[in-house]
Amino acid sequence: MSVKVNLHRSLASLTNGQTVVEVNGDTVGQCLEQLATRFPRLKKRLFEKDGALSRILEIYINGESTYPDELATTVKDGDELHTVVLIFGG
Amino acid sequence: MLSQEELERYSRQILINGFGEEGQARLKKAKVFIAGVGGLGSVTATYLAAAGVGVIRVVDHDKVELSNLNRQILHRDEDIGKNKVDSATKRLKGINPKVKIEAVAEEITEASISRLVAGFDLIVDAMDNLPTRYLLNKTAIEKNIPFFHGAVNGFEGRAMTVIPGQTACLRCVYRGAVVEGIFPVVGVTPGVIGCIQATEVIKYLVGTGQLLGNRLLVYDGLNMKFTEFKVKRDPNCEHCGGLKDKS
Ligand SMILES: [Zn+2]
Repeated sequence: MSVKVNLHRSLASLTNGQTVVEVNGDTVGQCLEQLATRFPRLKKRLFEKDGALSRILEIYINGESTYPDELATTVKDGDELHTVVLIFGG
Repeated sequence: MLSQEELERYSRQILINGFGEEGQARLKKAKVFIAGVGGLGSVTATYLAAAGVGVIRVVDHDKVELSNLNRQILHRDEDIGKNKVDSATKRLKGINPKVKIEAVAEEITEASISRLVAGFDLIVDAMDNLPTRYLLNKTAIEKNIPFFHGAVNGFEGRAMTVIPGQTACLRCVYRGAVVEGIFPVVGVTPGVIGCIQATEVIKYLVGTGQLLGNRLLVYDGLNMKFTEFKVKRDPNCEHCGGLKDKS
């Protein structure tokens, strides 16, 4: 399944400035893993040490939240994935 | 009932379709709780006072610092070292003496929050940290009052409106990561997001328009783009999971 990943701006410094990357996978988890393989420095921004999704990352597929089972969420060809970083400032 | 002076002061908004004198009277009756008078709170409080909300309680235990002044527009140079709620009250009174401003220079904690919020119709989340935001969200759910969320970082911001039992709450959307520290921000960002929060509050009180319920609005100032993400109630949410669905 080919999925278009839109990376949050704060991650683009780790992908040579690319904010849109095409990946393949059947689940959100597989898509993110492929992303981490291609851009190794991304890995610790995407995942916690135990392999869970980073606690400050939000994943949306076609504009819909995948919380709370983000990594297991299945994707289909042509889906659009957004990574958004949690913010808390006021 | 609105006085002659009020009818004139608010005449431009009373003209809006769906607003009218009735909407204005609803604003006048409302008691709004604003948690924090920093970047977001300065803006929401300013516009809610100008719009004629009856009672505004501003709660913040911080004092004004020089590094606040790029964005916290209720405070001035001369206020440095003073309680934020005091400079906020002074400015808000100047904008609209008709509005009752209650200044509370107290920390919002698990122990104080229920007492601080008691009797208020809604909560504006203008905090600068996640733990207090969660506490406010939880309290809003418990008291069954709406919660108007906003957050900023750099040129980026977001807003969402929570109606307990009808829409996703903050905890339905966030895993609960607690990230502490100083965040970067330029004043225009809380300007944009604070105005969105105030717009939501006014719409809710007047009873017009479509609220940001189950919709997380993300603002990207650098690309000048708004993106809306759909969110939904988590049946296992530790804050609102026990509430019956009223949507
Ligand atoms: Zn919830």
